[in-house]
This record gives sequence, C-alpha cells and structure tokens, in this order.
Amino acid sequence: MTPVAQATNPIIRWEWIIDEWDQIREALVQHLELTVLSVALGVVVAAVLSAVALRFRFMVSPITGFTGFLYTIPSVALFGLLVPYFGLSRLTAVLPLAAYTLLILVTNTVAGFNAVPESVRDAAKGMGLTPVRRVVEVELPLALPYIIAGLRIAVVSTAGLVTVAAIIGQGGLGALILDGLQRTFWTPMTIGASLSILLALVLDGAIYALGRWATPWTRRAKAS
Amino acid sequence: MMGPVLGQAAVPRDIGVFEFLFGSEYWTGPGGILASLWDTLVMCSAVMAVATIIAVPLATVLAHHGRGELSITWVVTLSRAVPTFAVAGLLVPISLRRGWGFEPWPIFIALLLLALPPIYLNTYTGVRGIDRGVIDAARGMGLSERSVLLNVELALATSVMLAGIRVAAVQVVATEPIRAFLGGDGLGRYVRDGLGQNNDNLLLAGAILVAGLAALTGTIFGLMRRLLPPGVRRLA
Repeated sequence: MTPVAQATNPIIRWEWIIDEWDQIREALVQHLELTVLSVALGVVVAAVLSAVALRFRFMVSPITGFTGFLYTIPSVALFGLLVPYFGLSRLTAVLPLAAYTLLILVTNTVAGFNAVPESVRDAAKGMGLTPVRRVVEVELPLALPYIIAGLRIAVVSTAGLVTVAAIIGQGGLGALILDGLQRTFWTPMTIGASLSILLALVLDGAIYALGRWATPWTRRAKAS
Repeated sequence: MMGPVLGQAAVPRDIGVFEFLFGSEYWTGPGGILASLWDTLVMCSAVMAVATIIAVPLATVLAHHGRGELSITWVVTLSRAVPTFAVAGLLVPISLRRGWGFEPWPIFIALLLLALPPIYLNTYTGVRGIDRGVIDAARGMGLSERSVLLNVELALATSVMLAGIRVAAVQVVATEPIRAFLGGDGLGRYVRDGLGQNNDNLLLAGAILVAGLAALTGTIFGLMRRLLPPGVRRLA
C-alpha cells in the first residue's frame, strides 16, 4: 500500500456494510456464541469451585490463588499453548476465555454467600428447611446481587477478549479487524472494533436488567 | 524447509522448543529474542510511566478533596472490561491516515487505557482509606496542605498504590503481545510467526516467553514492596 492509497482509503465506507452485511452478521453471531459458551463454561466451573470453597474453608485461598494465577496468564500465550494440543479449534478459544472468568465469578460468589446474615441462616434452619432448600431458596437469592455483579464483569471482559480469539482463526468480530488490517482496508476493522465494544455494552445492560428482574427486593429496599 | 530469518539464523521448520529457547543464534541480531524483549520492555515501561504520571496525581488530589467518589464505580467496571484489541484496532486506521504509522500510538493508547484504572483505583482508595485522625493530627502539627498531601496521604497510601501499579504492569505486559497481530513486533512475534507458519514448537516457545515475562513482572513488582520502610509496609 502506498501512503497515497492509505490517505484516500476512508475509515468507513458505508456501502461496504450493506454489501457485506452477511459477513458482518456471521461474525457477530460467532462472537456472541463464543462469548456465551465461554461464560457458560466459566459459570459451571466457578459454581463447583465456589461450592468447594464454601463447604471447605481451607480451600478458599488455594482456589482464589489458582484462579488468580490463571487470570494473569497472557491471552496470546494461553491460546498459543493450547493450539498444539487442541488445534485451531473452538475449544482452544473457549478454554482460556472460560478460565479468565473464574477469578471474578468465584470471588463474587463466595463473597455473596458470605454476606448472607447469620440470623437468616438460623431462621431458615429453625423453619425446618432441608440443607439443599436452605441453600437454593434462601442463601442463593440473597447472594444473587453479588453473583450478577461478577457475571456482568465476566461477560464484558469476555466479549472484549473474544476479539483476540481471531488470531487462532475462530472468527468473530476480531476476524474483521484482522481482515481489515491485512488488506489495509479500514471499514471491516472499524466495524469489527466498534461492534465488539457495542456488543459488550449491550450484554452488560441485558444482564443488569436480568439481575433487576431476578432480585426485585433489592429495588424495594432502596426505595424505602 | 526454512522459516524466515529471526535473529542471526533461519528458524528451521522442525526446531525443538528448547532448541529455540536456548539457541544463542536466536537471541541476538535483529528480530532475535533480545531485540523483541527490548521492544516489549520499552513499550511497557513507557505505558507504565505515563499511566503513573497521569493517574497518581489525579487520584491523590481528588481523594484529598473528597471529590470524584462516583468515578470509582465506573473505574472498577472499566478496569476489567477494556477491550484492548478492539481499541487498538479502531486506532490503527486513524493513526495510519494521519501518517503516524502502525506503531507505536494505537497500541500505546490502548495499553494506557488498560493501565490507568488499577493505578487510579488503588491510589484513590489508598488515600481515602487513611485514618482521618492521622490527617487531623498532621494538620494540628502545623503541616501545610501540600505537606499533608505529599508527606502524609501519599506516603501512607504508597503500599496500596504499589499494589495497583503491580496489577497494571502485569496486565500491560500480558496484553502487549497482541501488538504483533496489529502490524507491530515485540515478544508476541514468535506466537504470530508460529501460528502463521504452522510451526507448533515456535508457537510454544513464543507462548512460554510471553507468559514468562508476565510472571516475572508480577514477581519483580511484588518484591518492590519489600523496599518500602517497614512502617509503611505494615499499613497495607
């Protein structure tokens, strides 16, 4: 590319969006799928780890230590380390992305259950609820605001990181960024980057709304 | 079949991970590991220096006056959600059109956005967390407002502030390798080349280098805390 061609190449060429709409939609769907899959896997693993940490107190620091260690591994390195074993597959993208969500999800879940007042636990016990019902019907709803807060951060950061998964050929909006870069054609790059930021904000709003719907009492408590 | 020349020698297709990591011919010369490491360290140091120069005074002054309490909630969310790759991707076309090239501005600004929140957050909460009595005592002793800010508030917040700088440094070093995918080089280039040439061992060696530098950064910044006077260290 000569500098002249670059100067005439606009940041965004609107007709490209219409012409290549199918490609953009496909990237958006892939991006969403990768985000949801990774966070879902993260939630399942985090639930198990949190349950272990809450049941066996001595496990709290090894578990937070381990998830904290996972979080500090550079994404480029983690994708790179898994490629020789799982190839350029979706699994190679999802495993690191799920691993990165664990720290925030476990931290917030454990904090949420710890924040349940002792008197509430005693009352539930006194009402004769079985241990399973105590956890599911009393403690979980009270811990939910913390869990939702963690989930929001996990989803937003995952949606941002999915762009990096494009380097191992898993598509998504990051693929548009790389494509634009290789062709020095800026429209896909601008579209990919702005849509990934927009998607993160929309998902954040969606989970926020879901959280408000699931925990109506937190609103009432603030109002009174 | 030979790969492109990295360092002083061409990287053979069937190179072993350790053969690459311990082969002195790959460490020296242009594109060698040392040159790439230097590239990465210069970029990360510049980002950290600018981030600290912006975030620390801003957070200290705002916390001193009790302003900007609301900014904290925003910064907490932001600090884990900055999509560095997308931000840099948005900035590359703008930078190129202005004739500033692929490097260093787009990745520099994206990394700066990543580094600012943890430093700001920890400095702010560090200063706000100081016992009011200590500050009142300092004022009562006749210290000037400036002295209260620098010698009491900032000094007592040092440990918490350093923890924030450590988090920022690890994140910056861990994220900088995406630069290799945005038209630059740096330590991430071996991961990029390994992927591009379908060379798993080069890829693994590159990933080990990148992860190793991040781990080392965390350790070094953790050790920095030990250089603090014992009284200040105990406060954290």
